[in-house]
Amino acid sequence: MNTIMILLLAFPVVFFLSLLFEGIDRKVHARMQKRIGPPIIQPFYDFIKLFNKERIVPVTASSGIFTAIPIIAAATSILGAAIPLASLIYKTDVGGDLILVLYLLAMSSVMVMVGGSSSGNPYGAIGFSRKMTMLIAYEVPMLISIVSVSLNCNSLAYYDVVSAQIMAKLLLAFTRPSMAVAAATFLLCIPAAADAVPLDISEAKTEIIHGSLVEYGGPYLALIKLAKAASNFALTLLAATLFFYLPALFDGYVSLGLGAVFLSLVIALIFWLLTITVPRTIFARLKIGQAFKFYWLIPLPLSILSMALSTLGL
Amino acid sequence: MRMYMTNKSDDAKEIKVDYTRLRVPFGPVHPALKEPISFKVTVRKEEILDVDIRLGHVHRGIEALAENRNLVQTIYLVERICGICCHSHTTCFTQALEEIGGIKPSERALYLRTLIFELERMHSHLLLLGLIAYDVGFDTLFMFTWHVRESILDLFEEITGNRIHHAMNTIGGVRWDLTPHMIEKVNDSLKKIEKSVKYIHDVFQDKTVEKRLCKVGVLSYNEARELCIVGPSARGSGVSMDVRRDYPYAAYGELKNSFSVVLRDGADAYARTEVRIFELFESINLIRTILDELPNGSISMEESVLKLMRKIPEGETVSMVEAPRGELLYFVKTNGKEGLWRLKVRTPTLANILSLKLMLIGGEIADIPVTVASIDPCISCANRIAVVDKDKEETRVIDLEDLRRRGRKQ
Repeated sequence: MNTIMILLLAFPVVFFLSLLFEGIDRKVHARMQKRIGPPIIQPFYDFIKLFNKERIVPVTASSGIFTAIPIIAAATSILGAAIPLASLIYKTDVGGDLILVLYLLAMSSVMVMVGGSSSGNPYGAIGFSRKMTMLIAYEVPMLISIVSVSLNCNSLAYYDVVSAQIMAKLLLAFTRPSMAVAAATFLLCIPAAADAVPLDISEAKTEIIHGSLVEYGGPYLALIKLAKAASNFALTLLAATLFFYLPALFDGYVSLGLGAVFLSLVIALIFWLLTITVPRTIFARLKIGQAFKFYWLIPLPLSILSMALSTLGL
Repeated sequence: MRMYMTNKSDDAKEIKVDYTRLRVPFGPVHPALKEPISFKVTVRKEEILDVDIRLGHVHRGIEALAENRNLVQTIYLVERICGICCHSHTTCFTQALEEIGGIKPSERALYLRTLIFELERMHSHLLLLGLIAYDVGFDTLFMFTWHVRESILDLFEEITGNRIHHAMNTIGGVRWDLTPHMIEKVNDSLKKIEKSVKYIHDVFQDKTVEKRLCKVGVLSYNEARELCIVGPSARGSGVSMDVRRDYPYAAYGELKNSFSVVLRDGADAYARTEVRIFELFESINLIRTILDELPNGSISMEESVLKLMRKIPEGETVSMVEAPRGELLYFVKTNGKEGLWRLKVRTPTLANILSLKLMLIGGEIADIPVTVASIDPCISCANRIAVVDKDKEETRVIDLEDLRRRGRKQ
């Protein structure tokens, strides 16, 4: 009962933080392009505006799936962000939540993809096939890197990994070579999971008009946007706490209390800017074949390497 | 994922479904297209199997309008054919009128025409480079390129008073003169623009941009020759053609040593982009020469434009200029009574648009926006009326006579 209450409380916090992070991301992106950019709370305005718009379901869509999917996507990705945030705040560990979180985040991507294909739009169908290819490309290395982390810490619980870092007073990525490789793999997979340029192939605006999102509008679009922001937030929070839990280096209040949570959030924001905003600004969009080749040539061998190293105990 | 092929002779209407093919409508409204044109693209997964190009969404009947106006009004009308290469259209038209009327503009006027022409080429090429960057998803380069373009628009405003439709040309000369103060200003801006263009050139060498542009939309030399492709698109395929050099007009005859024709034989989207980047440098050099060698004298005739217009006799001529997108051709037939019998405009896009089919087939869906942008299409210039009868499945082009006949019936 207590856990459910905690999770319910974490929902609005995740909602606020993920949209705030997205606002900062948009502002920084604009400043790097010599633009003024929108105000930082613009995503909130967008959310409210979209929520007050009319609901449109295309005739060609299978309406049940089409309307249910934004809600499922938002729920899963917010839950995926809420679990690590809640266990960070309350310092509780739930066995196996590491795998659960990753599957919740993958679930939200899959949901958006299925929503696109249920819309009956050919662009949605192309978006579906592209997203499918991308999922195969980045989910595998991402999962393997997390598995090698849990092998290393002998636990599938998220907070165990964090407390191991507090115990050792060392960031996980710097403990062993296998963990450094796993951290690099995870960070390389974030841009693809976030669907940001150069890897926004599945929803390329100028090619297939946002792919899966092409028929979504109004409240549905608001929910999908929220789902994307929350899943980005969850991914960067995972990267910041699993591999680089900076509060572990400090003593006292900073390492344990709300100060630690705040510091982790700042690190998460920095990772968001480094892995999502900066590539978005400095690269052109890749083609699906090029992206797939990249993920199977660099992150996948890296993740297998980290797995091999951690089974060897390095 | 469905494509129904119905056999009408068969009563049972047997429907064959080929689930591997997908027919994607690309346009008339699409984020990558700034103007309405429609492609019906048949794809299998990412590969393009067939393309069907349809024009005619924004036909405005400008040629027919021109026949109901007098010559001076038509100058302003043809300026509205295109917002980007408006100066090319007016130059081409006034040139034709001057040839029929035997009017010779002063040297200074011709130099000023050339100056605006080259500034226009720069702003058009920068606009296109930005769009190519946007189409490959490189928003930062898009923002930067358009930022540079803005300073050229400011120069236009300084010189002519208008940012887009400059209204610079008139029969027998130009309407605005260049003061020494403006020359200084243009020179200052050019310095900054040259620096930025160098930077843009560097950024276009970026690995991700190259990956998206190289070997995309290939049009070989022979295909380009056979399809009579014009302008930078042809020069990207190694076809050496440039109206400025081949049939000099305005002041290009005197300035022929201060520019060279940029040629690339990559024949892909990257080659066409590169041609445009290097033409920016050529234009900068040309503008510098024009500012240095600007002759003295008046910029227009002593007589008023209306008097000049009345003097233009009945006659016909063909006039050509090298617009930013390629060879622009006007056929002008005056009636000797201030008006026109016939005005025929052949815009460069109309010559280039057919090549898109060859470029697209065999490519990927991801290449469509880049390939389309790489020929720099200006759809509003290129529209013709075509009526498609959906029931009879036939297409015919309606000409003016047809329209008149319809008008009489009602």
